[in-house]
Amino acid sequence: MSLIRINPLRILNQVPTAIFTRNIHVTPAAATLTPRQENRVRCTLIPGDGVGPELVYAVQEVFKAAAVPVDFESFFFSEVNPTLSAPIDQVANSISKNKVCLKGILATPDYSRTGELQTLNMKLRNELDLYANVVHVKSLPGVRSRHTGVDCIVIREQTEGEYSALEHESVKGVVECLKIVTATKSERIAKFAFDYATKNKRKKVTAVHKANIMKLGDGLFLKCCEQTSKLYPKIEFEKLIVDNCTMQMVSRPQQFDVMVTPNLYGNIIDNLGAGLVGGAGVVAGASYSADCVVFEPGARHTFAEGVGKNIANPTAMILCAANLLNHVNLGSYGEMIKNAVSKVLHDGKVRTKDIGGQSNTQEFTYAIIYNLKPVST
Amino acid sequence: MAARIITNSGLHRKLHEFSSGLAKLPSGNGIIRTAATALPMSDFEIQHKQPLVKKTKPIPVALYGGRHAVTMLPGGGIGPELMVYVKEIFKYAGAPVDFEVVEIDPKSDESNDLEYAITSIKRNGVAIKGNIETKSESTGVQSRNVAIRNELDLFVNVLHCHSYPGVPARQKGIDIIIIRQNTEGEYAMLEHESVEGVVESMKIVTKSNSERVARFAFEYAKRNNRKKVTTIHKANIMKLSDGLFLETSQKVAKDYPEIEHNDMIIDNCCMQLVSRPHQFDVMIMTNLYGTIVSNVVCGLVGGAGLLSGKNYGDHYAIFEPGTRNTGTAIAGKNIANPIAMISASIDMLDHLGHKQHSQVISDAVRKVICEDKLHTPDLGGSASSTEIVQRIIDYILQTDTRAW
Repeated sequence: MSLIRINPLRILNQVPTAIFTRNIHVTPAAATLTPRQENRVRCTLIPGDGVGPELVYAVQEVFKAAAVPVDFESFFFSEVNPTLSAPIDQVANSISKNKVCLKGILATPDYSRTGELQTLNMKLRNELDLYANVVHVKSLPGVRSRHTGVDCIVIREQTEGEYSALEHESVKGVVECLKIVTATKSERIAKFAFDYATKNKRKKVTAVHKANIMKLGDGLFLKCCEQTSKLYPKIEFEKLIVDNCTMQMVSRPQQFDVMVTPNLYGNIIDNLGAGLVGGAGVVAGASYSADCVVFEPGARHTFAEGVGKNIANPTAMILCAANLLNHVNLGSYGEMIKNAVSKVLHDGKVRTKDIGGQSNTQEFTYAIIYNLKPVST
Repeated sequence: MAARIITNSGLHRKLHEFSSGLAKLPSGNGIIRTAATALPMSDFEIQHKQPLVKKTKPIPVALYGGRHAVTMLPGGGIGPELMVYVKEIFKYAGAPVDFEVVEIDPKSDESNDLEYAITSIKRNGVAIKGNIETKSESTGVQSRNVAIRNELDLFVNVLHCHSYPGVPARQKGIDIIIIRQNTEGEYAMLEHESVEGVVESMKIVTKSNSERVARFAFEYAKRNNRKKVTTIHKANIMKLSDGLFLETSQKVAKDYPEIEHNDMIIDNCCMQLVSRPHQFDVMIMTNLYGTIVSNVVCGLVGGAGLLSGKNYGDHYAIFEPGTRNTGTAIAGKNIANPIAMISASIDMLDHLGHKQHSQVISDAVRKVICEDKLHTPDLGGSASSTEIVQRIIDYILQTDTRAW
């Protein structure tokens, strides 16, 4: 059964149709192409904590049904369960070898047992230099929320700023927490944002900052964004103070297109944006380094309360997986999965509880599988 | 002799005096007037916008999550259709490259599009381009190909001329690398009518640029295990300018004792090329000789449709078909030879470090050209462009590679 399902999809993906429709020439070689088992993508998989494993299972079910040629290399990776966790070098090596990773959310304890200030998430980011976090905040069809037509991309620098893990108690009762801003990293993230905007045909980039108070730190970030914007005459550039930005986000979020932010502000705006369009279960994100990408849900919540109850919303994770497929040149599969997700949400018959439905995770996943329809590229 | 001792900065100053003198000329001299006023930037400024003069800070590389962003300038004539083939082939080979397509309107007198294209290349660092037409006849509008090279300071052009077995050609087994100075010499675009009926065209040769080219050539020869470098010149007539070029390359050659160096006069070189081309290995030359010699060699191995050229500067690289012809006459007829543009894209993948993908595509191209002997009309075949591209894609799909 599965073979029958695989073959038509393979053919659709591999036989060029777009510009060669006039060309009836088909070589015998092309006819023997179908069983290409070797041509598969390897991808690192980190299920994460909380409902992560359940969401990842949903993704694997969808991939299996769609016959996606991706093999997962799975690692248990967790900060709250250090004894069972795979060593970070092993995970980082796997990601840098495969260049793509699908990752759930890692729980981060509020206090440090070992006295170490860096969380496991931060360590992984620094190890791989995953400097740019991209969260696409987009209103989904059929998900009811306060605003409609929201479509903005939040790009966040995530290797420096407030997350530098440089804190110390200089005198008893006085703690200093250092926020580091460097020109190199600010330029890098600014260029990333503008290149992302260019690639995705966006019109405007907004730099979010607090340079009126932190004149040097955020001032440097802002200056780098301004300088970079000069290389992109076709993209509008504006700057906005973070407090005003959050107010604008909740009152008129449609005005935003691409936003580029330092670390902490980005984290806040990501979550704010997720709240606007339906919560942590529906927003996909990704972290980029020069060489690899980690696809992970946009708002970082483990939903530990929901573990084992079959109620978590797998939309974000499945959209992440679809973005992953688009990144690795398997766009037809990615589109197929995205279309199925929006069809299910639009029909509104099967929904998880967080977006006002009565169905469970499994039913929702099966509904997506049922709606998988091949798309022609 | 005294003229040759002028230092680099001294020469610049001299030229500057010369060009500011132009502005003060009486209005009777119409040609120069329009040239000076129609341009947002004078020829002088474009010629001298070099990192040596104006240090540019490197811009972060456009590489995100293993995918490169590359500027694509389709140009005119057959350019756009060839770019479609390149994109298709990249899709099936899974090359991790995203193109930013920039169109330049060939008829416009404005240089906005051109400036945008140059900015885009500065951001991405790498570009693939067809030949860009400059249809405007106003003397104020300069050749866009030349402007791009000068503005980005792509001081060297490398053309690897090699025979494809199976392609009908006058000479077999040719393997020559032509390295050409790309930003000065006769292409300095400094021309003026000093007296009615007398036009002076300046050929500029600088020591610094000559040295960069020679250094590049010898390094290239060393890296690619080449045995000999030949400097092509006309120093018997142009004793100072070509003399400087020759002298500089002789000086650089002393640093590479393992590589043989000789020199040859351009007219003799052309004769030797058509009679005994196998004596050449790596050749270096100034701008105009370069364009002539590369067209001669292209003709020897089978025409303009096969070879690709690489332009390098300190910060940027542009890949294009080897001979700069637009092919307007055959545009849209599905008979253009796509191999030149495809091999330019292979060079680009090599430059970006995607060796595996470039290998897959070049193997497929070799099979189609040499084994299947599927050729377009310019090589005496009867296949259409799409047939060739289709066959290349078929071969790519047969190889076991990762999907991206």
